[in-house]
Amino acid sequence: MSYQVVSNLEQVLSALKNRGENSRIIAGGTDLFLEKLPEKLLDISALAEALVIEERGGTMLIGAAVTHARAVASPLLAKKVKALTEACAQVGSPQVRNLGTLGGNVINAAPAADAAVALAALGAKAELIHYSGNTRTVEIEELYAGFNCSAIDSCQELLLRFVVNSSDSGSGSAFARLAARKSLALPLANAAAWLRVEHNCLQEVRLVVAPVKPAPTRLFKTESLLVGRPLIAESWREAAGAAMDEVEVRGSLLRCSADYRRHLIGVLVGRVLETAAGRALTAKGEA
Amino acid sequence: MPTETDIITGDRKTDRGFQTPEVWAKITGKAIYGIDLKLPGMLYGKILRSPHPHARIMGVDLEQARRMPGVRAALAGDELSCKPFGMVYKDELPLAIDRVRYIGDEVAAVAAIDEKIALKALEAINVDYELLPAVFDTEEAMAPGAPQLHDQHPGNLAWQRELTRGNPEAAFKTADLVVEGSFSVPQVHAAYLEPICCVADYDPYGGLTLHTAVQSPDIVRELVADVLDLPVSKVRIIGPVMGGGFGGRVYGNLKVYIISSLLAIRCGRPVRMQLTRQEEFIAGRPMIAAKIRAKLALNQDGTILARAVDLITDNGAYSAQAPWVSKTLSERNDSVYRIPNIRTTVRLVCTNKVPTGQYRAYGNQVGNFAMESLLDMAAKKLGLDPLELRLKNCVKKGEVTVHGLRINSCALSDCLQAAADEIGWHKRKPGRGYGISAAIHAGGSLVFDKNMRGASAYARLEYDGRVTLFSGEQDYGQGTHATFILIAARALGIEPDQIIIYSRDTLTSPFSIGALAMRQTTIGGKAIQLAAEKLREKIAQTAAEMLGEPVVMEGGRVRSATGKTLELSEIAADYRFQTSGLSITGEGKYVPSESAYDDTGYGNIAVAYSFAAHTAEVEVDRETGEVKIIRIVAAHDSGRILNLISARGQVYGGVTQGLGYSCQEGYLFDGGRVLNDSLADYRIPTALDVPDIMPIFIEQDDPEGPFGAKGLGEIVMVPVLGAVANAVADALGIRVTDLPITAERVYQAIVEWECEQ
Repeated sequence: MSYQVVSNLEQVLSALKNRGENSRIIAGGTDLFLEKLPEKLLDISALAEALVIEERGGTMLIGAAVTHARAVASPLLAKKVKALTEACAQVGSPQVRNLGTLGGNVINAAPAADAAVALAALGAKAELIHYSGNTRTVEIEELYAGFNCSAIDSCQELLLRFVVNSSDSGSGSAFARLAARKSLALPLANAAAWLRVEHNCLQEVRLVVAPVKPAPTRLFKTESLLVGRPLIAESWREAAGAAMDEVEVRGSLLRCSADYRRHLIGVLVGRVLETAAGRALTAKGEA
Repeated sequence: MPTETDIITGDRKTDRGFQTPEVWAKITGKAIYGIDLKLPGMLYGKILRSPHPHARIMGVDLEQARRMPGVRAALAGDELSCKPFGMVYKDELPLAIDRVRYIGDEVAAVAAIDEKIALKALEAINVDYELLPAVFDTEEAMAPGAPQLHDQHPGNLAWQRELTRGNPEAAFKTADLVVEGSFSVPQVHAAYLEPICCVADYDPYGGLTLHTAVQSPDIVRELVADVLDLPVSKVRIIGPVMGGGFGGRVYGNLKVYIISSLLAIRCGRPVRMQLTRQEEFIAGRPMIAAKIRAKLALNQDGTILARAVDLITDNGAYSAQAPWVSKTLSERNDSVYRIPNIRTTVRLVCTNKVPTGQYRAYGNQVGNFAMESLLDMAAKKLGLDPLELRLKNCVKKGEVTVHGLRINSCALSDCLQAAADEIGWHKRKPGRGYGISAAIHAGGSLVFDKNMRGASAYARLEYDGRVTLFSGEQDYGQGTHATFILIAARALGIEPDQIIIYSRDTLTSPFSIGALAMRQTTIGGKAIQLAAEKLREKIAQTAAEMLGEPVVMEGGRVRSATGKTLELSEIAADYRFQTSGLSITGEGKYVPSESAYDDTGYGNIAVAYSFAAHTAEVEVDRETGEVKIIRIVAAHDSGRILNLISARGQVYGGVTQGLGYSCQEGYLFDGGRVLNDSLADYRIPTALDVPDIMPIFIEQDDPEGPFGAKGLGEIVMVPVLGAVANAVADALGIRVTDLPITAERVYQAIVEWECEQ
């Protein structure tokens, strides 16, 4: 087995190109180490380009190798993409958060990965570089090929960073989850919302919940219902009901019944909308 | 020759916070646990388990496995000639012969040069099964025509009991109020973090040595010798450091010990066998599951008149300790309060599921959940404060309870008051729920083995003046060694760091029934005290003979009437020369007086009784059903606390486990298959789940325990379940009667309540 810590992008791409199929990118390793490890590993946890947290001309750049713990500690992320801060604070356990990365949270492709759900609601796009040098920019939901299966082949392609539009004034976001214990438990359900407010009404909404489909699930119907609505309790209640109607969920003997999961999704949707709206108003006041 | 034997009383500076060096070995990762052990030439054993809940074994073909390179032995049940065994019924064999009765039943075993080969060899074993109808529900198992598990238990009834004390029928007729409830509690695993592991080493001349950490090594030793037909003196158990036991490891896993021994005897090489976490869950011995129907009769003023309990417990496929646990579960709570009339029915029912055993508190906590829930239901109907209702009825010093328990020390009402005051019982915060619960637990059983009620210990003065203690009681993290050293230090008047203790080798330790029934401090500690006092007496006697005048022993040396002093090392040396090599030793034997315990189970069952009252403060999210535990106050009467740091540790750990029991844990089944068979899915509390826990000790000397002490280790968990259930009910106005109280359960209870309105 070989383990190489790479420090610049060229090294990563040439290594992926030259070493072929059994060379895989690793960062925190909190999921990979639970499986059979490939022969050759390229550790990108020291790759500067994948470690950025910065705002450039109305765009947040968040490196894929940023750990959840570091994301939680970032004042910039807390100010601009609060839903991501809240989601990262609840991933796995303190130990997992210290090692695990945002990129890993997405590539592991678990249906209810907290950071991925928040990123999807924030409208984040992933920037990927193929070893051939080709780059592509893709929405979070498109990175899933199936249940627990990523559309990213980490033997060929590097997920470098996430980009989030942060130029909108009067926007806010929030994340919430419920799990059977405070760490080391997958969420029974989670939800994240991003919204933009104008004249005390909702102008734009992105609402994402999980676990519903293999990927974080946008609730387009509920979103469209909300546009133009005032920021009052009734709007959140209606949205909760609409979300419950919109999702098709499954239950299991191990976690919870489908009915309860549906109910939870409704409750969490109402809560993240209300919190995000409050934040949008605060942001507007500050601006 | 006059000697000096009075006991030093009062606190020594280290009395309230002493720990043995083993704690530091554990913290720094240097402690050697069972799973760390390796012996030269060691083989790896693995067990093939039944994939079926109920089937007839038509044949086991081991040939292919035996021919595999690296495989040293493969065994099946039909080629063994072992006696059936079991703690209560002899209903188990090391490897099944004709039938398997649950998913996980042991069918065959292999030993190989490494674990991978052993696992491969299991795959190469062909077992021909003929499937039999299986039964998983206790009520269905009792119905006519149900599949039968054991010939010796017709109707699948493994044990039953009908008990009446006083005249419950009359009491229920005349009472002002009768409240009734049905409660259920699932199987719960002790979930010690080190899975059970054993290295068996056999040599035809020396005999069998088992390197394994178990709470009751002497009992396991005798049982293994009996099953394998070996002289008991040829079986030795040496315990490495134990990675948690919590009552789930009282007899460890007898199958693992016996099968690894059989393989070691067959191969002539040491065989290591360690359960996987999945095996722990599917084939360990979790705490029994219970369905409880109970009712309580009271007068308008809150006086309790009678209690009736109809209990059905789920035995699983084999009985282990299930009858004894069922008995404690059904009756121990009857002695928390003055209840003159009792009616109890117990049915222990065989099902094709994991066999059950026990866990810290031995069922008392399960009863607590039901009984304390019922009390609050009564308080609500009577318009009484739950605290006042408990204070009015709680048992007091000098009383004899309905089952004949003699209460010689009791600060239960003080515990109730202290727990209530500390949580702010009369200064409630809006939006929060408050619950209270009380418990009794027997410390040191007189009836577990009526011939073996007490304990013994040796204390030896070493040539360098230090003291070594020998005890058969086991320390598995609860701090027994530290407490015993403190007891001996106090009795001898020397510093604790001058004392060490050996307890983990059946060759050198006195016989003990082990770390169970909350007997370590009360009974084992008393034996240590007596041994140390005896040693002190003999040291003084030897010194007096050396000096030719009366002496006193103080401050770690001996002083005579005329002011001559002798160091302990000088006395030890003199004794050694006089006896050509012997050491001064003190033998302590504590033999509690026999109990007048009758056939109905009436009588005093223990040396002392510990008491506790816990209060819980919770918040419940009415939309999601999520329960947030804010605070637990745990007020305890365990007599005089000998080592405060250990005592607090017991409370923090026991309360945390009680919270897991209350809100998170429990086996989930699909038919006979355990669904949550890993620590990822069987969710014990993590560090982040532990709320603010406040231990309070009401210290009153017990007349019998060593220096006034009583047991603590098991009772710490008991009141948690009732307190949490009552706090949740207080917060919601709706009661959840099935454990665990998960968010979904709370939500369902709210939905059901709304439907009824």
